Amino acid sequence: MHWYRNDEPQGRFIGSTANMDIYAETYTNASARQKESTYRKADQEFIFSYGPASGMLESSEIDLFTPGEIINHVDVGTDVRKRILRLARSNPVDALMKIERINGFHGASHAICFISALEDAMDIIPDRKLQYNRIVQIECERIRSNLMVIERMAQAAGFGVPVNQLAFLREKMSRIIGRRGGHRYFFGVNSINNSCFNTEVIGKQTGSVAEDFNDIFRGLSESKLFINRLQDNGINRDSLSIGPAARASGMMHDARMDSGTLPYEDTSYAIVTNDEKDAYGRFMVRAEEIEVSSNIIKHLEKRCRDLGKYDYSMKDGEGMARVESPPGDLFCSVKIAGGKLESSGYIPPSIRNIESFRESMKGNIFTDFHFNWESYGIWVAEAGVVLQ
Amino acid sequence: MIKGLWFLRGLRKGIVTEKFPEVKPGEVALWSTALKGDGNPQCPVEAIVDGKWIFDRCIFCRKCLPSYAPNGNFNIFKVRKKEPSFNKSFHLFPFDSGACGACNAELHNIASPQYDMTRFGIFFTNTPRHADAIVIMGVWTQGMKKALDLALDAMPGPKLVIALGACAATGGIMGKGALAEEKYDVVIGGCPPNPYTILSALEKARGD
Ligand code: SF4
Ligand code: SF4
Repeated sequence: MHWYRNDEPQGRFIGSTANMDIYAETYTNASARQKESTYRKADQEFIFSYGPASGMLESSEIDLFTPGEIINHVDVGTDVRKRILRLARSNPVDALMKIERINGFHGASHAICFISALEDAMDIIPDRKLQYNRIVQIECERIRSNLMVIERMAQAAGFGVPVNQLAFLREKMSRIIGRRGGHRYFFGVNSINNSCFNTEVIGKQTGSVAEDFNDIFRGLSESKLFINRLQDNGINRDSLSIGPAARASGMMHDARMDSGTLPYEDTSYAIVTNDEKDAYGRFMVRAEEIEVSSNIIKHLEKRCRDLGKYDYSMKDGEGMARVESPPGDLFCSVKIAGGKLESSGYIPPSIRNIESFRESMKGNIFTDFHFNWESYGIWVAEAGVVLQ
Repeated sequence: MIKGLWFLRGLRKGIVTEKFPEVKPGEVALWSTALKGDGNPQCPVEAIVDGKWIFDRCIFCRKCLPSYAPNGNFNIFKVRKKEPSFNKSFHLFPFDSGACGACNAELHNIASPQYDMTRFGIFFTNTPRHADAIVIMGVWTQGMKKALDLALDAMPGPKLVIALGACAATGGIMGKGALAEEKYDVVIGGCPPNPYTILSALEKARGD
């Protein structure tokens, strides 16, 4: 294991697998973390339920506890569409096909994180070029994901023109990705010690998406109507929050800074933060990160050309990896024995983001719900999955 | 500088909608198109049987390369029942039974300006009571079973039941199909299906 060690907690808390607590630098045996007490509905409250099939992008069960307007409590049920993935005793290469389909919209982050954990277990130090290629993929995914989050925030505000313009750019990104790896969601693009993602002149194309986005961003930032819906909506005070939600609350939480899995230190990466703490802050961070991602891609594209064909041989061991997926820290651990997966651990970012969202909804009014939910970029698909 | 006037900003961009289906699409990601090849290479989902490729099982994982390779044909769907009465307007109720998000995103994408589903009279609705077709994505999950039964019951007739992607149709690699395959009127292949495939299948389903 190259990046993680079993030691006292060091660095920020990332999350828990079934038997481990994961911190930025270390892992410990799982502590008996106190589960939140079950909220009891007050007499004057009623429960407004969304879902499970509500026309939202994904199925989920959301219960809003309200006496009329103010939201006192929110429950988000992800078990309703629980998928159970049997990975134990499977070939790691076959397991990868399932991992990249946990959250297909973030297929690159998932595949790269899992592969990095496998490589860590197998003592493979990937070639720098390959690592840069992987960073380019994740940054492409981040641009598309951030476009989607902002598009859905604009949709909640009923802003038809920017919604369409953002959808146009998102489709443009999907085509850029599909052209270079043969698949619009990176399925089958990454494998142990390899990638077939072609980065030739990609910087120009993603740069043009970022430029076009800037124009839309300026328009949205000038719209009082849009900004008013976001400001003071969903103030995030969760000190454990991750990803853009954390950075929009002034916290420098970013796996690109504090995980050794991918060499972001070789890029022009500069962390984007904002002190607003609300949905507006999350909008600003997501928007500015599109430019940052585009710059990283430009910086790296020439440095990851002409990837070699890297060999490897299966080896037993334990490995861990953590990458900054678009909504925040994504962690994978594996144990390989006899060439098969003996166990695996997985912490998706949406678990923490759901907690941060729930807390931030308290005291808000009903009509704030959609803006706030979308601003966290939560994917129920990854929160409602169980690895066996 | 035009300030905040979205209508004018929209005009400035001009028409970006493609002329599909009159004009063939310029760009389709290869691994969402039909596979062609020979032999019986190992396939994790038994999508190659007796040298025949079965489109609705395939998860496009590339494990059968080089025996099989994509040929660019994105018309990978099957229409068992057509409903010409949806010719003027066709309202779809998206139903996520246990999808990974990629099928959801691709269905969502047919609304993007490149495809613009509304020019075909296709719309989304967020209630099954107003739906002409239910578009099911993802594998069968215990928790969504009741919601799926209720949605199917709530839809007025005539109606179409559509499987979008390998998970809904056959379970792919993630589980079992949301419904038995023969219960679908339309089966759209892909993992996830390409937006052009989705549009072509929807057009065919209403008799075009
Ligand atoms: S791409 Fe994968 S799922 Fe499809 S036929 Fe080939 S091996 Fe089977
Ligand atoms: S068919 Fe493929 S893309 Fe669609 S939900 Fe299943 S795994 Fe995801």
